[in-house]
Amino acid sequence: MSTPQQLAEVLTSLRVGNQSYLVRFYEQNRALFARWARRQHQLEPGAAHELLRTVVVEFYDQVADGRLTKLPPDVRAYVYGLADERVRATSTDGLPVSESGRRQRLLALFRTLGLDCQKMLMYFYFRGYNFEKMAGKMGFANSNVARMQKSTCLRKLYELQRPAEAVA
Amino acid sequence: MSLPAPDLRPYLEELECFADGQLSAAEQEAFEARLETDADLYQAYQLYEQLTADLRWVAGHETLYQRLLALDQRLDQREVALTRVRRRQRRTQRRWAVGVVAAAVALLALWLVWRPTIPNAADNWIRYYVPEAGLSSAVMRESQRPLLAEAMRQYHEGHYDPALYTLRRISSNTIGQDTLTYYNGIFLLSQNEPEAIQAAQPFLRRVAMQADSRLAGQARYHLGMAYWRNQQITAARNTLRAVANDARNPYQDAARQVLRSGLIKE
Repeated sequence: MSTPQQLAEVLTSLRVGNQSYLVRFYEQNRALFARWARRQHQLEPGAAHELLRTVVVEFYDQVADGRLTKLPPDVRAYVYGLADERVRATSTDGLPVSESGRRQRLLALFRTLGLDCQKMLMYFYFRGYNFEKMAGKMGFANSNVARMQKSTCLRKLYELQRPAEAVA
Repeated sequence: MSLPAPDLRPYLEELECFADGQLSAAEQEAFEARLETDADLYQAYQLYEQLTADLRWVAGHETLYQRLLALDQRLDQREVALTRVRRRQRRTQRRWAVGVVAAAVALLALWLVWRPTIPNAADNWIRYYVPEAGLSSAVMRESQRPLLAEAMRQYHEGHYDPALYTLRRISSNTIGQDTLTYYNGIFLLSQNEPEAIQAAQPFLRRVAMQADSRLAGQARYHLGMAYWRNQQITAARNTLRAVANDARNPYQDAARQVLRSGLIKE
């Protein structure tokens, strides 16, 4: 259990993209959660780990979206509650349907991109790397190459999204 | 019914350059001026902003997901490695345990085969004790004492209880007191039971202390042996030493043999 001040600090750091708290949380609770999931929902360890990953990411999304403006005093209990809801298939997103649907669709399309494209877009749009750093990370000749590659990837994603949007 | 979303593609490159800060100051000013006048460009700009906001969300979501996935794989690998190490340790321990048990069994078997045979007290007694020969039939005939003859016959036949009973019926007037006492002790000692051996000791001691009795030396030997049989080691050693040093004692050799055997030790 953390103090309100600690919780507020965690919330702030998550909002600026520092995910270490959740990574540590996952590492510390993985085995415990797997036992709980086996007892409560008869899940095998592999499925339990996947469920925990999903709900931890969901928790992060809630913070990043601004749906969670205050961290629950017992994060573990909250995450277990999310898992419980998800297993019982009564999960509701909480975001406006159109926005939630749009982001989920974009996520699905994002996963169809090549790994290099995914990596570059994550570096640029999440980690905030500049083109020079991206070039270094990806092994490109210079920042200009990195900029063009990122641009190509964004265009690819947009082109994937257009027919999907038309259907939606 | 909502209007179809505008196509971003014609504007994508300049929108990206603007958003990523790649335009010069003049270019940026010109682009901002166009944004205010060109409705299509403005709509495309709005759409681009929405796309990149969604993309930021997706990128954050995916980054965390992949970090957790990588962590998961690392933890799984560590668990597998730990399990393997534990299994190997258990196997080694089991192998050692089997080895130790086998060695113990082998040692036990060897000990059973080669163990030194330790003769027990009864065996030692049979080996070293020289029993009293008893009175000869010639002496018996000569003395014309039927009860004494009967007692000796029973003694020779190994019926010690009846022999003792018969002996006690003999009057001390017909035979020397030291002889009666001596044979009382002998018959009791011959029964070879702890209580009887204990009971034999006063009779034998009494005769052994009668220096003028011709049976004193013999009585000393049997008394020493009675002490030994009852594990009164010091008394046994002292008594048997006295016998062994007495050249006239018919049991001198027997006493020496017992002392030499080293069985009479504290």
